[in-house]
Amino acid sequence: MLRRYLVKRLLIAIPSLLIASLIVFTLPRLIPGDVVVLMLAEKAYAKDLEELRAKLGLDRPLPVQYVEWLGRVTRGDLGESLWTKRPVLEEIGQRLPVTFELAFFGLFFALLIALPVGIISAARQDTISDYFARSLAIFGLSVPAFWLATLLIVLPAIWWGWRPVTGFVEFSRDPFNHVTQLLLPAVILGIATGAALMRLTRGMLLEVLRQDYVRTAWAKGLAERVIVLKHGLRNAIIPVVTLLGTQLPQIIGGTVIIETVFGLPGMSRFLFDAINQRDYPVIQGVNLVVVSLIVVINLTVDTLYAVLDPRIRY
Amino acid sequence: MNLSRRHLLKLGGAALAGASMAPVVARAQTPKRGGTLAIRTWDPPHFDPFQTISYKTHIALSFTHSRLLRHKAGPSVVPGAFPIEGDLAESWTQPNEMTYVFKLRKGVRWQAKPPVNGRELTADDIVFSVNHFLTVKGNANAYMLKSVDKVEAPDKYTVKFTLKEPFVWFLDMLANPHAVAIVAKEVVEKHGDLKKWESVIGTGPWMLDSYRPNVGLTYVRNPNYFIQGLPYIDRVEATVDEDNASRMAAFLSGKYDLGWAFPGTIDRVDWVQVKDTLAQRRPNLKTVEFPSPVMNHISMRTDQKPFSDVRVRHAMSMAIDRKAIIESAYEGVGAINPPVPAALKEWSVPLDKLGEGAKYYKHDPAEAKRLLAAAGYANGFPASMCFTTYGTPVLVDIMQLVQKDLKNVGIDVKIDQKEYGAYIATCFYGKFDSMTFGPQTGFLEPDNFLFGQYYPEELKNQSHINDPVVADMLVRQRRTLDLTKRREIIYDIQRHLAKQQYYVQMPSPIYVGVWEGALKNYGPNMGYDYGGRLTAAWLDR
Repeated sequence: MLRRYLVKRLLIAIPSLLIASLIVFTLPRLIPGDVVVLMLAEKAYAKDLEELRAKLGLDRPLPVQYVEWLGRVTRGDLGESLWTKRPVLEEIGQRLPVTFELAFFGLFFALLIALPVGIISAARQDTISDYFARSLAIFGLSVPAFWLATLLIVLPAIWWGWRPVTGFVEFSRDPFNHVTQLLLPAVILGIATGAALMRLTRGMLLEVLRQDYVRTAWAKGLAERVIVLKHGLRNAIIPVVTLLGTQLPQIIGGTVIIETVFGLPGMSRFLFDAINQRDYPVIQGVNLVVVSLIVVINLTVDTLYAVLDPRIRY
Repeated sequence: MNLSRRHLLKLGGAALAGASMAPVVARAQTPKRGGTLAIRTWDPPHFDPFQTISYKTHIALSFTHSRLLRHKAGPSVVPGAFPIEGDLAESWTQPNEMTYVFKLRKGVRWQAKPPVNGRELTADDIVFSVNHFLTVKGNANAYMLKSVDKVEAPDKYTVKFTLKEPFVWFLDMLANPHAVAIVAKEVVEKHGDLKKWESVIGTGPWMLDSYRPNVGLTYVRNPNYFIQGLPYIDRVEATVDEDNASRMAAFLSGKYDLGWAFPGTIDRVDWVQVKDTLAQRRPNLKTVEFPSPVMNHISMRTDQKPFSDVRVRHAMSMAIDRKAIIESAYEGVGAINPPVPAALKEWSVPLDKLGEGAKYYKHDPAEAKRLLAAAGYANGFPASMCFTTYGTPVLVDIMQLVQKDLKNVGIDVKIDQKEYGAYIATCFYGKFDSMTFGPQTGFLEPDNFLFGQYYPEELKNQSHINDPVVADMLVRQRRTLDLTKRREIIYDIQRHLAKQQYYVQMPSPIYVGVWEGALKNYGPNMGYDYGGRLTAAWLDR
């Protein structure tokens, strides 16, 4: 059954991706400012505007360009950067691992904060620890990541002359420093998501803990740990997993600022630079990769439901 | 405080005095070989100096490439002065006003990388580089040498330039780090262009050892550099650091040896915040202050009403409270600029010698209103102002002050804010309907400021000026070899422009050049030539 469901979902994903590809292709063209004019301004080709437009393949009607681009994409070719002339896929391939790693660590920290704090907060409802945890969650939700990042970089430098590692260190060059340099950005990235997940975990767990079967479990004399973690949390976790699925794209979006502040050479910063330069193939390529990832994540989340709750059948 | 000419001269004197103590120490000590210098840099869009005007590329190549001439560097050079000395050229003569002959140093070798593999540099390489610079499609800096008619190599170590017309700034253009980086024909042929980092092969003091996009560049000492014993510094680590908080923290914790802002400075707004902490944490830091050549200005459609009326332009200039801008945006320290920025000390006319036009640089809103009324705009007029933030809040602050000042005299300005790319593609090149506000490139010679902005039909003639008097003087100064006479013409141009107010110039900040005390024999200056300023510097740590 699960296999049939997966095949069905994969088939549905195809039109979703097609629609997404159309949006991904056309949206960058709506940004004011023309890459050809930009390149001409930079390179002083003023008389060769049309020639350059033709050279870049931007002189044909948009639908023709779209079909050609889509054809290349299906063959695994995302085109070349208009500025550097390097293949977009190669450029993304170099940067994607950094963003993935950062997003993974961010999510890891979010869960590391959210689950224990959410559980304790629910199990100790209306105690000081609950109030403290909820206040922390409000703080985490309301503090902008860029502000927190700035403070966490500048204040230790002023107070103790300490600053996180400057310049990205690859894992192959120095595994320890590589992981160390990702810790602070990942924590900052994970704070807002962690706060949202914590609040949801607490809310859902409270709801479950008020169910009759939980009351029965208490009456049976089961240990609190077993009631909360085994009988309560497992039933409360499904909406949390759903939220997790929707938070992941937000975490990837948050990497734009974090990568810039911490000097990490990831995909988000690459996209930001490409937007500034109107490098259409790069914008389209990166967005397509992100959209595809979101489709895969949603599919994974849906599949996880059945694993978490055996009652769910497809 | 704002800086008068007298203050500026004092400042220059102070800079010189501060710097002049350094060489005494430097001479007393023996330069040390070795060490790693750490600086903040910018990620180059690519590495082809003939395909971009980006300072990011030109700074990167200042470490690796030589030019025929260069600007002298070191603590004895006052920031804002650019004395010329030979780089690859050992000497040069000027047989007539249109011919220059350069004798090259012998035994100069290309860096030991394929395809040149350390072969000797000859006059043919210079001829190739200059011709490539002039003819390759897409070189926006080619205008710098457009006076060149032909370049020849009479023998292996001689290069002869023949100009189409006299152009007295020719040597300055050759020395400018924007201009001709000497490259090898084989490298261009192998790679097609010079965009890839692997094609960064020159005859300069350092070699590019590695480049990691958005991360940084590592340079290692060129053991075959043509000046025996130089450079002293073994390795330069240049880190791409795009966030100001991150840069500030890195500097506070001692991770950079030069100020993090261009060109090895710290913006005064940041400096005021960190100087006390730095005094405790990094007591050995050295500083020198000098005015920035980057000048914001209002440009306007002087070919259309209402800006075609000189009284309107006078009114706009008198509406601007330059001292308030210095107080608010530059922490009270700045320089009021005539048409050539005050930073170019040798060429900027002192305000007290500006003549009749000097009065238009004074804040006088009542007179501004009277002038507008006389021009038929008693109730002012609406206008739009094209603008981009350049990513700096200081520029936004200044623009808002300008908007407020103009509003005070009745000019109701609506800001047309554009994204950087759109701004550069349009307003920066004069494509706007009313006004534009923004900075100009911080050139090192007055000709680049004046000719580009004021000569008819030039790309950067944002205000659409067609003034035969200015055009004639601009051409004349280009033909006047005698320095004193040329300076007088450039002063006259500025006096004329002050009366015309085709652009309304804003004050410039005063840079705070900052460097680690262990870095000896270094002197900050304007311009992209980071490598040139560090070639004879050494680290004592």
